[in-house]
Amino acid sequence: MATTTEHVSLSTEKPKSLPWYLIDLPKYLKGFGFLTIMYIGLRLYQGAFAIAHGLDSSEPAFEQYWMRLFYIELVIIAAVASGFWGYLWLSRDRQLDQLAPKEEIRRYFTLTMWISIYTFAVYWAGSYFAEQDNSWHQVAIRDTPFTANHIIEFYFNFPLYVILGGCAWLYARTRLPLYAKGISLPLTLAVFGPFMILVSVGFNEWGHTFWFREEFFAAPIHWGFVIGVWFALGVGGILLQGVTRLIELLDKIEDAE
Amino acid sequence: MSAQIPISTFKPYRGEKARLARAYDYLILVLALFLFIGSFHLHFALTVGDWDFWVDWKDRQWWPLVTPLIGITFPAAVQAVLWDKFRLPLGATLCVAALLLGTWVTRVFAYHYWNYFPINMVLPATMIPGALVLDTLLMLTNSLTITSIFGGAAFALLFYPTNWPIFGMFHQPVEVANSQLTVADLFGFQYIRTGMPEYLRIIERGTLRTYGQYATPLAAFCSALLCSLMYPLWWYIGKWFANTRYLKKI
Repeated sequence: MATTTEHVSLSTEKPKSLPWYLIDLPKYLKGFGFLTIMYIGLRLYQGAFAIAHGLDSSEPAFEQYWMRLFYIELVIIAAVASGFWGYLWLSRDRQLDQLAPKEEIRRYFTLTMWISIYTFAVYWAGSYFAEQDNSWHQVAIRDTPFTANHIIEFYFNFPLYVILGGCAWLYARTRLPLYAKGISLPLTLAVFGPFMILVSVGFNEWGHTFWFREEFFAAPIHWGFVIGVWFALGVGGILLQGVTRLIELLDKIEDAE
Repeated sequence: MSAQIPISTFKPYRGEKARLARAYDYLILVLALFLFIGSFHLHFALTVGDWDFWVDWKDRQWWPLVTPLIGITFPAAVQAVLWDKFRLPLGATLCVAALLLGTWVTRVFAYHYWNYFPINMVLPATMIPGALVLDTLLMLTNSLTITSIFGGAAFALLFYPTNWPIFGMFHQPVEVANSQLTVADLFGFQYIRTGMPEYLRIIERGTLRTYGQYATPLAAFCSALLCSLMYPLWWYIGKWFANTRYLKKI
């Protein structure tokens, strides 16, 4: 097909930029991509070294391949928590009473992206690696609370989603007027309830000092985790709060125009 | 009598307002998908767990009782929000489909590719037919009472027959070392797990077995009764969690 002046002018047009309410979309997608690569990387590490060096915690190789990973995770968790939470707090909006409706709408979108990243981390911790723990304990007797799967699930995935949930909570508290005036109960439930799952690791591991196999995964010793995850249903309330406010703000913009 | 709301009250969004609302919908869809896979799967794995993991746990007494009873919880809670607030008749199906997606990914990559269990040994059960009935009934009746009684019962009663095409073949009898057992049991003996001995102690006990072929329908009807009670309980739990309150302090 021949190239016409019309085609040339079309091809030299500037690429369409994202609408104002989706400015943070690239960061959100990058976050998703980064987490996906990280979780798949951890799973591949397990595939490479769990059976080879993760069956007996008294072997020197266990210290090298697994406990070293555990120490690295602790450093990363501490850095990510202090970095993200510190940034969100220090860069807080101190003039929320002057916030324009459009900017507030944009921030609701960003909050939804934060919660979405949080639920993505909840997926890996609550779904994939959680059930994988059962698979591992069917073939390996636990001789330590730091098994090849626990090191990734309990001591990295759990704290990581807690940090990301905390980010969502802090973002709302420091950048959105309604969340700054009052403490949103559903957002608090949805973040602090699953946080209790991390705390339940203590109860679980204490129980497993008596009961070192995994004969019965659906056992009461695991129900602390279950109650914690019910609180994720609070996301329904966050959605209702967000939608109600977005409708108000959209009407306000429309009335002004 | 329900309030008569004139149709003219609802003005569809147009232009940028519509595009913005649609973009928000897509964000919520992604958020909800991972939320329900993560949360419902953890809840399910640690309460139904073993009955769903292993083919030789799928017995006549406990599997048809426990699975629907625990499986109706999140669907009821999510319906309480999606139907009541947004008129979306898909809460149950969304939850169950998310659960199935999560379990399939795990069974393939955590059981089969990590620890070499055959995929046939760890097939997840389905609750999709029951969830479809639950959503349809709520949409057609708009009644918590009717959905609790008939939807809850259908969710339980449909479980065993709709799973039979998947798992029936594993109940075929085989003779191994002069003993008769099922194909499912043979899987269990061939792929030794720590879960095996406790399984035998729990499942082989109980007088319901003496009822022979009636054990399964009895378990299913017991589950139907319990699901009818579990459904409204979790409806209200879902409603409570999805509150819109702001507190002065925590």
